Amino acid sequence: MASFETEPPPPQPSGKARRRAGALIAAFVLLQFLIPLTYLTRSDTADERFTWRSLSTPTAPACETEASLERTDGERESIAPDKLIHRDWVTYVEHGRRAVVEAFLQKQCEADGVVSVALLNRCDDERGVREYTLRCGGERAHETIRTAER
Amino acid sequence: MKALERYWFGDIALGRPYLLLRMVLALLAFDTWLNMMPEGAKYGVGGFNVAHFPWFDDFVPSSGFYLGVLAFTGVLALSQALYRPHRIAIALIAMGYTLGWSCSLLDSVPYHYLLSLYLVCFVFFPMLSARAAFSRSDREPRGSVPAYVLFCVTTAIVYFYVAAWAAARGESYWLPMACCVGYLLVSMQDRVALPAVRLLAPMLVAAPLTFHLATPQAGWLPLYMTGIALLVFSPTQWVHAFGRALTQPARGLLDETRPEEGGLDERASQVFYLSLFGLVVAPMLSMFVDLPGVKTGCSLTAIAMLVVMGRQLYFTPRWRPVWRVASLFAGCLALLLTVSASDARLDYYLEGALDADRRGDTEAALMFREKAERYAR
Repeated sequence: MASFETEPPPPQPSGKARRRAGALIAAFVLLQFLIPLTYLTRSDTADERFTWRSLSTPTAPACETEASLERTDGERESIAPDKLIHRDWVTYVEHGRRAVVEAFLQKQCEADGVVSVALLNRCDDERGVREYTLRCGGERAHETIRTAER
Repeated sequence: MKALERYWFGDIALGRPYLLLRMVLALLAFDTWLNMMPEGAKYGVGGFNVAHFPWFDDFVPSSGFYLGVLAFTGVLALSQALYRPHRIAIALIAMGYTLGWSCSLLDSVPYHYLLSLYLVCFVFFPMLSARAAFSRSDREPRGSVPAYVLFCVTTAIVYFYVAAWAAARGESYWLPMACCVGYLLVSMQDRVALPAVRLLAPMLVAAPLTFHLATPQAGWLPLYMTGIALLVFSPTQWVHAFGRALTQPARGLLDETRPEEGGLDERASQVFYLSLFGLVVAPMLSMFVDLPGVKTGCSLTAIAMLVVMGRQLYFTPRWRPVWRVASLFAGCLALLLTVSASDARLDYYLEGALDADRRGDTEAALMFREKAERYAR
């Protein structure tokens, strides 16, 4: 009958294994220190991912959005984001989360005969009223801050 | 050894990484099923998605994909928590879990990212058996586990930044800073040469407990962090006694290490067919879960388990493959029971119906509503 005593503990790492583990540990720790600091270089201050700025989901300000697109014949047509994408994405759009706004505008440009798309966001906080326009085929939407506060 | 080397490679009680790994994996399994799965109906709506990382930009995860990944991750995590974890399985859990949250900004819960960091640390944890971590005697087995120290330092870095950003906003920062200092010191408490740290460390548990129980935080974060703090800060003897009591059944399992019965024998083929049968039957339980993608997720878990067992399945005339398959079976069964006994499935269908109504998609709304009515209690 085999012994029920402990199996041997993991062996002490050799010098070479220690150096290898040390390099991995240093890289992992360094990355963890650097990633939150990227917040300081982010153009979108609402993007707090991977920063540990908050461990809870922050309370969102009340915002609303209006979207419209311009067709090749010059006609302007308003669109309801609620009907196109999930409500959670609409909330991101309303709050002006840059990556989502860009993706939403690009997505609308995929439809036939669309020349440009515009978004108008109104928020109760310091975001105020902001307008985003994208000329289809362009890389990045243009952001205009209409007012600092509503 | 230099001081820095002593810090990273010094001895720790092996019961700590043993319990920590299993506790986090078990919590993660139920967290994915109870808190993440009900959010699955949001995925793929309108063919729109923005991922956390640019390399996913062209990929729109469907709800079936998301739920499949969660089922795979959760079942594999629970099976590894129940029986002797395997490094390949932990790596697959880390990949599955990270894929789950990172494929869309719809999941922006801060602690999901932290759990991914933890899972990366777990890949390098020693894959201990209950007998290796908890001896029958009162002597606590110790060993060098740099990944455990890395786990503590990772936690300390999180608290450091919580404190730093709070300080930058002019808010109180002493509590998260105390947690940071505590986690940096605590990995040294098992070293015989440092009796002062051994005495002081358990008292430092007050900081993380107060921080997580007194301030509002997302989801199950307080649950994870309270459990982690209790395992990391408690005196070695307490951890050992708790671990011994908890692993009593596991240590009493049919012995796996009978050298006199090594090599292939008649029992090998019985174990092989029994294990194979279990691998095929276990994912079938997911048919009763009735959520998109879950069947695929559970089948992939069985394949992952097959990979994990590898040669062991045929060439080990022991009971280990049977216990592994039993743990997979328990994982699939736990998923089914959790989904059936909770509101997770109902919430998924209600959320889907609500969103489809909002978008004017009457056909989808009807389908979701029919399912929701079936599971409403």
